[in-house]
Amino acid sequence: MVEDTGFLYPFLGETARDPAEVLADLGRSAAAKWDESRTLRQRTLVELEAELTQAAIPAAGRVRAGGRILALGNGGSATDASAFVRMCDAAAPRSLPAISLAAEPAVLTALANDIGIDVIFARQLAAHGRPGDVVIAFSTSGGSANVLAAVDHARRGGILTIAIAGYGGGALRTRVDHCLCIDSDSVHRIQEAQTAVAAKLVALISTHLERPGPS
Amino acid sequence: MTAAPHDALASASLVLARHFHRGATLWCWSPAWPTHAEHLAVEFVHPVIVGKRARPAIVLAPDGAAARLRHSARPGDVLVAIGSGDDAGLLDVVGRAPAWGIGAILLAHGERPTIDTGANVVWLGAAADHADIVCAYHLLWELTHVCSEQPDLLDGAAEASTCPACMDAGELGEVDVATAGFDSTVIVAGLRRHIDLTLVEPCQSGDLVIVHAGVAIKRLEAPVILGATRG
Repeated sequence: MVEDTGFLYPFLGETARDPAEVLADLGRSAAAKWDESRTLRQRTLVELEAELTQAAIPAAGRVRAGGRILALGNGGSATDASAFVRMCDAAAPRSLPAISLAAEPAVLTALANDIGIDVIFARQLAAHGRPGDVVIAFSTSGGSANVLAAVDHARRGGILTIAIAGYGGGALRTRVDHCLCIDSDSVHRIQEAQTAVAAKLVALISTHLERPGPS
Repeated sequence: MTAAPHDALASASLVLARHFHRGATLWCWSPAWPTHAEHLAVEFVHPVIVGKRARPAIVLAPDGAAARLRHSARPGDVLVAIGSGDDAGLLDVVGRAPAWGIGAILLAHGERPTIDTGANVVWLGAAADHADIVCAYHLLWELTHVCSEQPDLLDGAAEASTCPACMDAGELGEVDVATAGFDSTVIVAGLRRHIDLTLVEPCQSGDLVIVHAGVAIKRLEAPVILGATRG
């Protein structure tokens, strides 16, 4: 991603300035972005309300029938996947069975070294995945090759696929059963919204697991 | 929701930028929710914005952070600790960091931490959720890079390792090996020094003391950071 920050800080010129002044300007900039992030998260949860429920109901059905949630992603999205699993552990009213395919350095490096980076999740799905499981794929760009390979593998194997993605979902959008897309051009704001969407999805799956709704 | 913790984030960013400028490694620790530390580290090592400089950042596992920092961090390194403001284990490590010569930034949510040491504290408020925490360290990363590109900001003097528990020029020390007599070993500013503990005996390994002129003059009964829930 190319994102130039220079234009965001026009007050930072070439001339030396009092550090206190600069810090005050940076504080104002941080406050604006903090508000922007919270606004995007609130708007995203409203816009995705129906799609979140449409994804949560079948996911809860899979879990109720013995399926397990398998979360994956790269980089910051790898940490989103692992955080999703922690949220599943802590979910109320019912915790959800989940594992992170992004939290296994021995497996990940073995696959990347021996075969290639594009298979690091698909090969793990070949080992772990069963029909009736649920894949949660995080991709800020929506275009990560190893994430696309994983969801393709999952769908062929009867696994429900849900993506939480930025940039309109990218290539992922048409390759998954449910795509929860965040509409922003900033990688960081997208990731923050992904975190909020993930928390909401966990809560909804847990709720529908406890009280089955119409599906 | 409380006001955005923007000014504290800006100050912490300058602290981080100055540490990097002097060659520091950033240690990331989030014991109650480890993925925050992992996410923070990847932001710095592999910047999302092409052309931004890669910075050395390492994740500390939830357990054993004090031993890792004591033995593997270098004096001048910096710790960013993320967690609840009433997490006594978190605050204990942040409070010891000066003895190891390590700068500390505390990114706290939940209970407001009560701090009486030189740690830089960013408190996100009692209602902060995970997305707020992610946003806070994204901004910390971004502002640190902005500060790093302002050379006139970076040449400030290193933060003095003063200890507020002592109005004199005392330094925080962590007892390494306590022996009877004058030849105990205490870690001060990251260096193991022979320090006279006779004024503060009995001491044991891990005790925090204020050191002045080669003599421990006070033993701290509690970590120098007091958690909000403590009396």
